[in-house]
Amino acid sequence: MKLGIVVKAVLGPLFAILAALLVGGLILFFIGLNPFRTYFELFKLGMGTHLGITESLKKMAPLLIISAGLIIVFKAGIWNIGGNGQFLIGAIFVGGLAPLLINGSSPYLYFFLLALMGFLGGALWIVIPAILKAKYEINEIIVTMMMDFVALNFTAFLVRGPLIAHPEYFPQTRLIPVGQRLPFIPFTRIHIGLIVGLAVVILAHYFMKKTTWGYEFRLLGENKKAAQYAGVNIKKVTIIAMLISGGFAGLAGANDILGIKGAFQAEWNPGYAFSAIPLVFLARFNGIAVIPLAYFFSFLAIGGEFMSRAANVPVFFVQVLEALMLIFFGVTEYMQKKGKLFWKS
Amino acid sequence: MEILRSILSEPFFVILLGGTLTASIPIILAAIGESLVEKGGVLNLGLEGEMLIGAFVAFVIALNTRNLFWGLFSGIAAGLLVALAFGYLVIYLKVNQIVAGLGIWIFGIGITSLLFRVFFGRRFPIARGITSKTAIPYLSQIPYIRSVFNQHIVAYVALALIPLAWWLLYKTNFGLHIRAVGENPVAADAHGVNVYRTRYLTVMLEGILAGLAGAFLSICDLSFFVDNMTLGRGFIAIGIVMLANWNPSRIFYGAFLFGVFYSLTSGLQIAGVNVPREFLLMLPYVAVIVVLCIFARNTRLPAAFCLPYERE
Repeated sequence: MKLGIVVKAVLGPLFAILAALLVGGLILFFIGLNPFRTYFELFKLGMGTHLGITESLKKMAPLLIISAGLIIVFKAGIWNIGGNGQFLIGAIFVGGLAPLLINGSSPYLYFFLLALMGFLGGALWIVIPAILKAKYEINEIIVTMMMDFVALNFTAFLVRGPLIAHPEYFPQTRLIPVGQRLPFIPFTRIHIGLIVGLAVVILAHYFMKKTTWGYEFRLLGENKKAAQYAGVNIKKVTIIAMLISGGFAGLAGANDILGIKGAFQAEWNPGYAFSAIPLVFLARFNGIAVIPLAYFFSFLAIGGEFMSRAANVPVFFVQVLEALMLIFFGVTEYMQKKGKLFWKS
Repeated sequence: MEILRSILSEPFFVILLGGTLTASIPIILAAIGESLVEKGGVLNLGLEGEMLIGAFVAFVIALNTRNLFWGLFSGIAAGLLVALAFGYLVIYLKVNQIVAGLGIWIFGIGITSLLFRVFFGRRFPIARGITSKTAIPYLSQIPYIRSVFNQHIVAYVALALIPLAWWLLYKTNFGLHIRAVGENPVAADAHGVNVYRTRYLTVMLEGILAGLAGAFLSICDLSFFVDNMTLGRGFIAIGIVMLANWNPSRIFYGAFLFGVFYSLTSGLQIAGVNVPREFLLMLPYVAVIVVLCIFARNTRLPAAFCLPYERE
């Protein structure tokens, strides 16, 4: 019984992934690229080499952290699609503040404060959409998206203006010395962001499953009217869920600055939300399922990056695949409900 | 004061007004389409993706044929095709509309960025001389407002579509069917309205308009294509539909307001306002949020909004 549920939960997304790879291959074929070579290079370089695996594990961290926030807010039926903007604000907070905090006494305090700054930055960026949603029921999809573009321009202003380290060079914030960045997990070349990401997503999972707040979030997502009758404070829950998701997106920004980049550079916008949105849907907003999928998505990103050089297929092919996965996930969900795929639920 | 004077000078005002109208055209087209599907009970979040694909296809075809008509036509065809795929997903397969919409959006960004590199590599071709503005005799001589009557042909079409959409939605049987299907599909079905067909038709009209909006952007307004060039216009259009309360005539005011702020971003730079460029570029987005705050509080959605219809 329990096994049956797990198998079914795995088969749906698996089918979506395979269908996306198939359609993606057809697209490559129709535009005159070799799908077999592309996929061969993608898997070989992304999964078959030491470098590919290490880089994929590193890239998991931001995806895990953003996804932790998204499973909470999506489960509450609120669609925060401005994760990229919240990520950038968190990142620029950390990029701007880290150089000022260096030489502090304790490295624990230093990392804690910066993580907090990243979280606050991301949360700050969703305050307006959250209030508008909670108080006036103004659609959060539009407002978070608008804030995304505001963030893009605001961070561009900061990094070219007040926070620029060397006006004569490429605009970026002051470089954080290597010694002041996130330490590696012992015996690896992977920084501890991965551990943070795993911890955060597992925490989010049990938060949703076991706590009263988690229950209220789920109730709101399933049936707003029922939640109201059950005495859930809809406004409060909406605002909290949104702040958490924005905060985690900002924390992911902190991770990338402290773990990988070392500084906020102009024009830098990794667009993790474009991956994290399909990812959490495929995981059906389940935190445990997010973990293997986060590995798969970061493998796709890294494999895609290496493959774009080896097979000369632009890296955007990966984004096409992710979008197709989301679309086919929708299809499999419906088919499973109707009993047309494998069996009826 | 100096700035106010330069803004109100005749040539500058003419440029500002013309730019406002040009910027509002893609929003008007997309928002009219979106208001039709939303009235029919379907939320299409993939609008942005459809516009991008329309913009890309129109640009490629216009660049190669050097012909405005074929550019616009292929942009429309591309928008229609993507919209049909979206319709198939949400109407026939009853896929969650948010999932399908977000999927089409991300797909649109990915596929156009991919194809642009496959087709053009590192080049950034510009489609010059494909289109020109059509001046309306006499009217395009009136001081201060002359730029309103010197626009691309598509702009006139878009403006004409506003009353047409209103007429379609509120004065025809088809419009009645759309509204019925959005409010109570079961009752509509019982009265012999084909729910699926009605919704498919709204989605198709929306795809045509979204494709045209994208095509206008890439070949009439800008003459080039860059990654993600719609810059949230699809989402802005959805927001404007909300604040217009699904009323086509109010869509014009919303789109025009966006256009004002959009053309101000370049206008104020030319006027030499001493504000960092990035803050000016934020203006249209901030304006949309502010306007939503004022006009879109607790808007009433169609009763069957976002719900797939399943015939018993």
